Amino acid sequence: MKRAIWPADGKTRRATTLAAIILLQALCALFFIGDVVTDLLEGAAFVDLHFGVETLAAIALLIGVAFMMLELRLLLSRMDQMDTGLMIARGRMAEVMQGFFDDWHLTEAERDVAIMVLKGLDNTPIAEVRQTAAGTVRAQTTSIYAKSGTSGRPQFVSLFVEELMSGDFEVPPSTSPRALTESAR
Amino acid sequence: MSILSDQHSGRSGARDIPVWDPLVRLIHWSLLATIVVNGALTDVEGDLHEWVGYVALGLVAIRLVWAVVGPRPARFTAFPPNPMRAIRHLRAMRAGDDTVHLSHNPLGALMVYNIWATVLAIGVTGYMMTTLRFFGIDWVETAHELAFDWLMISVALHVAGVALDSWRSGVNLVRAMVSGSKRIPHGKNVE
Repeated sequence: MKRAIWPADGKTRRATTLAAIILLQALCALFFIGDVVTDLLEGAAFVDLHFGVETLAAIALLIGVAFMMLELRLLLSRMDQMDTGLMIARGRMAEVMQGFFDDWHLTEAERDVAIMVLKGLDNTPIAEVRQTAAGTVRAQTTSIYAKSGTSGRPQFVSLFVEELMSGDFEVPPSTSPRALTESAR
Repeated sequence: MSILSDQHSGRSGARDIPVWDPLVRLIHWSLLATIVVNGALTDVEGDLHEWVGYVALGLVAIRLVWAVVGPRPARFTAFPPNPMRAIRHLRAMRAGDDTVHLSHNPLGALMVYNIWATVLAIGVTGYMMTTLRFFGIDWVETAHELAFDWLMISVALHVAGVALDSWRSGVNLVRAMVSGSKRIPHGKNVE
């Protein structure tokens, strides 16, 4: 199980903690409200200091619970949006790669190699995956760098990073996380 | 180009979709704990039994509030108490439809409402027994015990339903109620 009960991710952990506090505080609030109601039925008056403080505590707890519930909901929807952003970024990365490869007129084999270069593979493992000689891969990468007008691997990779960083991703309002997860199928 | 379209690399096409927020999960397992404690462990005449009962009532109350203000899968609107939907769901199941429901499936939704209502009934009749007005009145005690029996039947059906649905859909529902996300196998329809 990858996601344990106590999550490693900071936001998830925050949400869990918040939920636990909400639960505890809501139970406390209910206890105080029950107490206040019972006292009222037994004829307590708000002017009685002890009873007044108790009522105030109950109300304060309730307000606290309401605010934390709101906070938890905001946090959860932010986490949702972050997921969406990541998916958009992934989709965008794929688009950027396709666009560049088309522009440079890379062959099918070169596209494959280029993707593996972007994924951080060295020539030797690429040759193993593609079951070709290391020399072939070297020739292909040289051709890729030449077609893309870059001097070598680092500059080639940075082309994509730069492309992703330059344009601000606008998130279309219509892309709800639901719609995206549907389309990710 | 499969390398590009693979969204969750190394996950053999399954995808994790967060459905149950931490509050829903905490309430679920806490409610189970109160049922186990009060059903099997506490002295039914004792104070502890009474207090654990109040906690159970409180848990359901908080869940009902969260079903109005909480995130989408936790809300009433995600699993309306609609018997017609449940019947349609049963028919679709018999026809071999194994669509994965992100919130409760329509049949499970009915069970959810049933369990909440039963816990409320047990809590209220239990409280009534502590009041002077209803203390020692037979029907209240009988109702309390009958409701508890019904709860046991419901829980058994609930567990059976979870097992059946997990087996049919390939989504481990118990895991989803622990980790919060449903891992949807590749190629399943989602509703």
